[in-house]
Amino acid sequence: MDFSETAERISQKITSRGHQADKNGIETKLKRLVNEFGVPAAEAERTVLNELAREFSITGFQGSGGPGDQKILNQVTNGEWVTVEGKVVALTSAPSPSIAQAGILADNSGAMRFVVWSRANAPALESGKWYRFESAVVDQYKGMLSLKVHSGTTVTEVPHEAALKPAITPIHDLSPGVACIRGKVVQEWEATHDRILQSGLIADETGGIRFVLWKEEGRERLSPGGVYTIFYGTVDEFNGKLSLTLNSATTVPEEGDIQVNTGSSSFEGAFVHLAPGSGLIRRCPVNGCNRVLSRQNYCPVHEIQSQYQYDLRIKGWLDNGTETREILVQRGETERLVGMSLDQARELAENNPLGMDEVFMRFREALLGRYLACQGRVIENRMLVSGCEILHYQPEQLADLLNRAGGSL
Amino acid sequence: MIGGAAGGKREGFFYREPAKRVFAVELKESRIHFKEGQDEKSPTYILLPTGERCNRVFLAGTLTEKRRQGEQNMFYRARVVDPTGTFFVMAGSYQPEAMQQIARLEPPTFVAVVGKPNVYQAPDGAALISIRCESITQVDKDIRDQWVLDTGKATLDRIDQSGQTPDGERAKREYNIDPALFRKVVYEALSQMKI
Repeated sequence: MDFSETAERISQKITSRGHQADKNGIETKLKRLVNEFGVPAAEAERTVLNELAREFSITGFQGSGGPGDQKILNQVTNGEWVTVEGKVVALTSAPSPSIAQAGILADNSGAMRFVVWSRANAPALESGKWYRFESAVVDQYKGMLSLKVHSGTTVTEVPHEAALKPAITPIHDLSPGVACIRGKVVQEWEATHDRILQSGLIADETGGIRFVLWKEEGRERLSPGGVYTIFYGTVDEFNGKLSLTLNSATTVPEEGDIQVNTGSSSFEGAFVHLAPGSGLIRRCPVNGCNRVLSRQNYCPVHEIQSQYQYDLRIKGWLDNGTETREILVQRGETERLVGMSLDQARELAENNPLGMDEVFMRFREALLGRYLACQGRVIENRMLVSGCEILHYQPEQLADLLNRAGGSL
Repeated sequence: MIGGAAGGKREGFFYREPAKRVFAVELKESRIHFKEGQDEKSPTYILLPTGERCNRVFLAGTLTEKRRQGEQNMFYRARVVDPTGTFFVMAGSYQPEAMQQIARLEPPTFVAVVGKPNVYQAPDGAALISIRCESITQVDKDIRDQWVLDTGKATLDRIDQSGQTPDGERAKREYNIDPALFRKVVYEALSQMKI
């Protein structure tokens, strides 16, 4: 194994700080570490460099290893020291004072998150420019690779003329990391958190994924039904479910429509439980909030609201004897299933001493024990029902069952 | 582990115990009950003679009788009849909604019941099964008939699978009843249905 190149690199680093470096001595040390002690070459380089740095009291090398091979972004793997060139396509807010900058780096092969440590003393990166990162480290968090720029990393701006051509990933093929997709906003959900500006479902021909957009200055909602190309969104995984965060992304509205596959499924079973929050409900009127108000007309975000909007829904459980499925039915199907319109429900609540509880009890009498067949999309174990039928006795099944039961008598 | 044919439990999601479809005569034979896990809130099960654990039942039948009992701790007892026998259903002050539901019902009527089976020891040593009611609603004959088919099918499925599951093995050991006997029960129940 030839150590002269590594030794040369180390001695250059030392001399660049104004010290004398014995290249032959360095080479001998490297050889000894690698050949006699079985230390990996990159680790040996780090060890020798650190040793010299301590000897000359040079700071700023700590933790630095070999620069690693120059790679394109979709080739790097966890734990590697690499040299990469890429364009900063997004800068996101740094979540901690120990982080100077965070964002997304892209080249023509792909994109990944990067983090610049405050202690790296790196120049401030600008969005839209290309940089070369020498001796950066790749690590992994929640299945997502990220490039760490530390004090041993050399960052230089590089001129780059050619435009970046981001590859679009089909939604079905997404994995944790950074990706570009083209999809249609097929559902918008009730915000479950104060800081969420918008969440919902975005889908293309291959499947759908939950998306979330956190509140941040200058961020705007996507319009439901709109088709967008999303450049450099962050895909992460929680509870085995992928989710796309749009805050790092550039979203570009597209013309036209696309066919979407939202992964619809169906379930048949008896309706065995009507959950609280079913029946006649009141929703927060604040623009875009739509949360369900408590009995005291209290919205978890906007507090007491006296000008609410009424709605009807069913929350409950279907059960086929071996499996259970939580279902959520919106107003249209609810009115049809229960045989009560929103206006009728309001009238009932207004003219009855039990108020909205009376509607709940009517719902319970109308639904409990009924065999239903529902279709819809399942998200986090709950089916958002788009169609539902009440099932009836089918005498033709009887003959088959009698044969099965009598077969071995 | 969730036994029998129950679906997989996924971390982070609430798991609801499925309601088994059991004819009255099979439920009456059940006397083994056990708890899965050490936690106070761990689910309890009874072991059905056809070889599946059961934490909850769903049934549809005819409410033939209801009785209010107790003064301080008022509760309702009700009898619900299916083609094979009688279910004993009760609702106490811990099931206020179910109690109000029973209070409004006038027997005889078809009802659908969701509830949890419990095993009691009678003074003479016999095991009694009663169903603690979660909900009881008036339904029509169409639903009762669907339930008989549903329960016939579920019982046949359990019999067919009982040789291949740990719960099936245990039921065979504990009850010493030939599961095929329940095949006859199913046949007789189905024979009463209109084609």
